[in-house]
Amino acid sequence: MSIWDIAWKDLKTFLRGKTRVIFSILMPIIMMLMLGFIFPKTGGSYSGNIGIYSQDLIFNAKVEKLLPATATNKMIFYNSKQDLIDALASGKIMVGAVIPKDFSLSIALNRPVTMDVIPSPANPQAGIMMGQMLVGMFGQEGASNVKQNVQSNLINADGTPFNYYDFTVPGLMAMIAIMSVMTGLASAITRERELGTLDGVMVTPISRGSIVIGKVLAQTIRGFVTAMIILAISWLFFGVHFTGISLLWTIFLLLLGTFSFIGVGVMITAAMKEQETAMITMTTITFPMMFFSGVFFPIQQMPQMMQYIAYIFPLTYAADALRNVITLNVGWNFIWLDVVILAGFAVVTSLVATFTFQKLTQD
Amino acid sequence: MDKKKAIVVKNLKKYFKSVKAVDDISFDVNYGELFALLGQNGAGKSTTIRILTNLAVPTSGYIEVAGYNVLKDPTNVRKNIGLVAEKIILYDNLTAMENIEFFGRLYGMKDTVIEENAQKFLKLFDIWDFKDMLISKMSTGMKQKINLARALVPDPQIIFLDEPTLGLDPVSTKHIRDFIVGLRGEGRTIVYTTHVLHDIELMNVDKVAIMRKGKIVSIGSLSDIKKHFKKAEIVEIETDRMLSPNEVKGKILDQDDGYMKIEVEDLNQFMKDISKLNVQIRSFKSLEPSLEDIYVEISEGNDVEEQSKMVNVKE
Ligand SMILES: Nc1ncnc2c1ncn2[C@@H]1O[C@H](COP(=O)(O)OP(=O)(O)O)[C@@H](O)[C@H]1O
Ligand SMILES: [Mg+2]
Repeated sequence: MSIWDIAWKDLKTFLRGKTRVIFSILMPIIMMLMLGFIFPKTGGSYSGNIGIYSQDLIFNAKVEKLLPATATNKMIFYNSKQDLIDALASGKIMVGAVIPKDFSLSIALNRPVTMDVIPSPANPQAGIMMGQMLVGMFGQEGASNVKQNVQSNLINADGTPFNYYDFTVPGLMAMIAIMSVMTGLASAITRERELGTLDGVMVTPISRGSIVIGKVLAQTIRGFVTAMIILAISWLFFGVHFTGISLLWTIFLLLLGTFSFIGVGVMITAAMKEQETAMITMTTITFPMMFFSGVFFPIQQMPQMMQYIAYIFPLTYAADALRNVITLNVGWNFIWLDVVILAGFAVVTSLVATFTFQKLTQD
Repeated sequence: MDKKKAIVVKNLKKYFKSVKAVDDISFDVNYGELFALLGQNGAGKSTTIRILTNLAVPTSGYIEVAGYNVLKDPTNVRKNIGLVAEKIILYDNLTAMENIEFFGRLYGMKDTVIEENAQKFLKLFDIWDFKDMLISKMSTGMKQKINLARALVPDPQIIFLDEPTLGLDPVSTKHIRDFIVGLRGEGRTIVYTTHVLHDIELMNVDKVAIMRKGKIVSIGSLSDIKKHFKKAEIVEIETDRMLSPNEVKGKILDQDDGYMKIEVEDLNQFMKDISKLNVQIRSFKSLEPSLEDIYVEISEGNDVEEQSKMVNVKE
């Protein structure tokens, strides 16, 4: 099949370039290690709803007195931990607290007690701050020293300890996969045009569409491999946990996220005559995308105007869905909108790309 | 559709903004012909080839290759053509065979057939031993031979060769020239571009179009072009006595005893005139005008009028 011939040739020529292969493996590693650690650890004041799943009936009766509902912070009770997690995934609450059965009793008896606090993966800073606030408030019930007996246990939805990379890593994964594919495409098309081999391919009976699809296929495979490297790094160095299902979702989302952007890559490289121009244009697009798409800073903390811009980039949706999948371990119900939007991006940009490629390769 | 013609070009134009790369050219090529496009750098040869091979879209004009309209039926055109462009169409980090296989598959060829054809051409070029060598390790001459094999393995009936001997050493140039002549012998149609007149004289092309600034300034067989541009002929004659200048019509270039070198307007008339004279001719030689002179004159002609001298030396 011609499409596969094109893809296979691209992969083979890529693999023969030793330095290129080494750097494309090193790039995601370096990026992950560098960018993964720059996430800020403190923040200002936050607002948002608090979700509570309590197994302690006494606590339930008293708690409303403790925290009167305000415009910015509302307390919402859930009947199961899963409901709490679902609420986090859909963004209804900023933090979720799981109150154990013996919570009130322990406080009354001056015994240490631990409550689980699950910050929102979309904005963990806010979640953590609010979690601390809860610990303070719920502890007030007893004597002054009781407060120290209440411990908060920051966890992910699956019960594993929460860490800051849980916020950055999913976005980083998507971003690095997309960026490596975009750069790959830039060289795959523009370079061949400069070398003159693209003419050789275009003069054969194969359709222009097949050429684009073949090249995209090769780059998607490359992006997939890059994504696997990123997965391994985030698991080894950042303590990001995967379950079987979240791993499958992650792979799917990484592929979809990459694919949603590939059309743009084809358009740029088809329009650019020189490899250098294509590379520069690519960087000009991907660089702001990194900051706008909430990879490093929660979108909710951006000024309103920037939030609108954030929703232009497919990376925003890929990062959001990946976060839900990886840190909350939720599935289709909470990511379907992201998936639909990403698929929309993929289809539209690919169609436009095939058309542009056809036009632009006939000067 | 004209099934008898391999290529039909009518009023082809290709403008790049203000540059008239191809400026209203028309020609046709019969099946089995070796057709040459001759012209200096920037004359528009490559642009013409790119349009004929569906790599560029013309500004206007009608083009037909292998019996198909290039703009309306490009796939059928592409099934029937092979291209050796100015830049070598080979991937540096693939071997000779991998390159040939990759391109062959894009024509839907079976691997066994590709292998068979590749072997034929690579053996012919004496480079079969290098089939598994990376292109990046090869000399330009070797690359160009592999490049030719790459274009020929799909067995195209029409082959476009855009300055295939550019930058090659004389030995490789000769190999490739001889090989191209051999291809014509197989009945293939060949379109060959060059800026070197000597090439096409040695290859004895069937038809040549001389391009200048996007226009065809002369087209026809080599001898047609020679005849047409022959304003005068040089004659060397040895006689038993010295001829006086008024006995012969023409400009005497050199004279020494019975030897005379004359530029004559009409050779036939000169022969008639001289036979009437009471003189015995010891030897007679008509010197062909140099094609080089003609080429330089028409492809370098620097005044505008020169262009209007466009000729169509039809058979
Ligand atoms: N893509 C292009 N854009 C602008 N000008 C071009 C392009 N391709 C060719 N030209 C111009 O068209 C003219 C003919 O070029 P070309 O066909 O390459 O000539 P040749 O092959 O005979 O040397 C030149 O003046 C060249 O600069
Ligand atoms: Mg040229």
